[in-house]
Amino acid sequence: MSLIECRQLTRTYRRGDQEITPLRDLDLDIEAGTFLALMGPSGSGKTTLLNLLAGIDRPTSGSLVVDGREIHHLSRGALAAWRASAVGYIFQLYNLVPVLTAYENVELPLLLHRISRKERHRRVAAALDLVGIADRSDHLPRQLSGGQEQRVAIARAIVTDPTLILADEPTGDLDRESAVSIMDLMARLNRDLGRTIVMVTHDPKTTEWCDSVLHLEKGRLAEAEGEATTPMASESNLESEDVR
Amino acid sequence: MPGLPLDYAIRNLGRSPSRLLLTATGSGLVVALVIGAGGFINGMQQALRTSGSERNVILIGIGSEESIERSEIPMSTPTIAAASIPDVVSHAGTSAVSPEIHTALEIETETGGKTNAMIRGVRPSAFLVHENANFIAGRPPRRGMNEVAAGQLAIRTLGYVGPSEAVGGEISVDDTTFVISGVIAADGGVIEGEIWMPLSDLLVVSQRDTLSCVVARLESTDVSGTEAFTSSRLDLELLATRESDYYASLAAFFRPIRIMVIATAIMVALGGVVGGLNTTYAAFASRVREIGTLQTLGYSRGAIVRSLIVESVLAAAIGGLVAAGLCIWLLNGVAIDFSMGVFGLNIDSGVLAIGLASGLGLGVVGAMMPAVRCLRLAVPEALKAN
Repeated sequence: MSLIECRQLTRTYRRGDQEITPLRDLDLDIEAGTFLALMGPSGSGKTTLLNLLAGIDRPTSGSLVVDGREIHHLSRGALAAWRASAVGYIFQLYNLVPVLTAYENVELPLLLHRISRKERHRRVAAALDLVGIADRSDHLPRQLSGGQEQRVAIARAIVTDPTLILADEPTGDLDRESAVSIMDLMARLNRDLGRTIVMVTHDPKTTEWCDSVLHLEKGRLAEAEGEATTPMASESNLESEDVR
Repeated sequence: MPGLPLDYAIRNLGRSPSRLLLTATGSGLVVALVIGAGGFINGMQQALRTSGSERNVILIGIGSEESIERSEIPMSTPTIAAASIPDVVSHAGTSAVSPEIHTALEIETETGGKTNAMIRGVRPSAFLVHENANFIAGRPPRRGMNEVAAGQLAIRTLGYVGPSEAVGGEISVDDTTFVISGVIAADGGVIEGEIWMPLSDLLVVSQRDTLSCVVARLESTDVSGTEAFTSSRLDLELLATRESDYYASLAAFFRPIRIMVIATAIMVALGGVVGGLNTTYAAFASRVREIGTLQTLGYSRGAIVRSLIVESVLAAAIGGLVAAGLCIWLLNGVAIDFSMGVFGLNIDSGVLAIGLASGLGLGVVGAMMPAVRCLRLAVPEALKAN
């Protein structure tokens, strides 16, 4: 059984008198352990799909099953609880809480779980160490560079050991060097720790770290590329071209 | 589901010091207003409540029931009353019957300031009738010596800080200088806002030959003997009223003013809520993306609303506590010169609690609507904000 099963997934919005359908009758299976890139032009439905997978939006029709759980049936409260335990989300603009330190930002999702302070500390320290930012744990976001902020955001996304990591253009706001470093880190999470990652990107270069790429167009699946093109892409792959 | 850490709410207060200042100031003003209004009402009620004794009966002129100041009765009344009322208290052969003049006169203070003061002309027997009136400094005024005694609230309106400073001070009434010989306390009653002058001196100063009233102290609360006296001496045109009833009727007379004070406080507080709503909404609206992020992490709307309310209540509490402290320091006991006389603002624990609760309520109500409004936005929309 696939980790994610989308069946006839449709999302329709109403904007005034107009009805917009960014995602239409999408059928999709994503296997556990995949590093999948979602690509497509603006308005193709990739962010909508990501939001549905994250449980921060609901399908208008169709079904969405993640790890055997029919999340399209969950109530708002149950969906929040599900997100807290099953989803790690990485934002393009990092979205760290500015008044909390790097450590506290990473700790934030753990406060939703009934675990001891000691265990929280252990997990936060491990996550910060994994993303290579342990020495900046007491820094506020404004005291960090963009790349460092994104590392903290990744630590926050993985600290609860979620089933699924979702990333919305995680390198979209970074310089080339930081982008390579972030993609390396995400690939390592996928390869070494077996995390399933679904990433929205506009940048074809970043797909070199992925093992599958899905192209969406007008809310439908346009084409799929099978195995990852370059799962172990290195920094040299990007050095000649801008990531953005 | 667990909520956001308290630290988050506390640190958010520092994000915009100007907004914090605005919220705290708004809350502080509302708290100060409520405490001020409460202290005013409390002070007035206490003054009127403690002023009348059930065992004292006032004899005033018929038709002047609403105001002793307007009453005029013959000078012979106290002698006749002492002989006729059956159960008047007697101390060592002296009847507890106090002939009095109540009049409001303009007086000039030592510093040249002019103010209206309630002046009561009395004889020494007044202290047999008004048992709660005691000297806390100095001594009673002597007649013919241009001396007066002042209530402990009255001396504040005259510009004195304390009783010891007031004794020896001077006031002028109608170009005649009087020395303050003593300071009177009377359990917070209206006497504390008055100036007591020997009756004979006040008769001269006010150029009158009638009394305002006679107050008699009875052995019991039964005034039927006094009423029988006033009924039998129709020539004196007297009306007997229990002193406590007189002040109760004054309290009822001032009830509309109390209601107006409360209504004004409520209206200003509501204005504060509306102003607070704008400030709080601006503060929360600038964090819509962050609120969306917290929801994405798994925090429920309820947990986020609670945290935002805590944040708002903390800001309101800062302003409220500062305002409450300033009110105790600056307002408590301040003499208010009102038509019924002088009374002190009375800020007790009840008034403080109501004031602080209104400030905290402002924090809750002021945060609730903006928080709910910010959370109404769908998470994907919130994440696109800013």
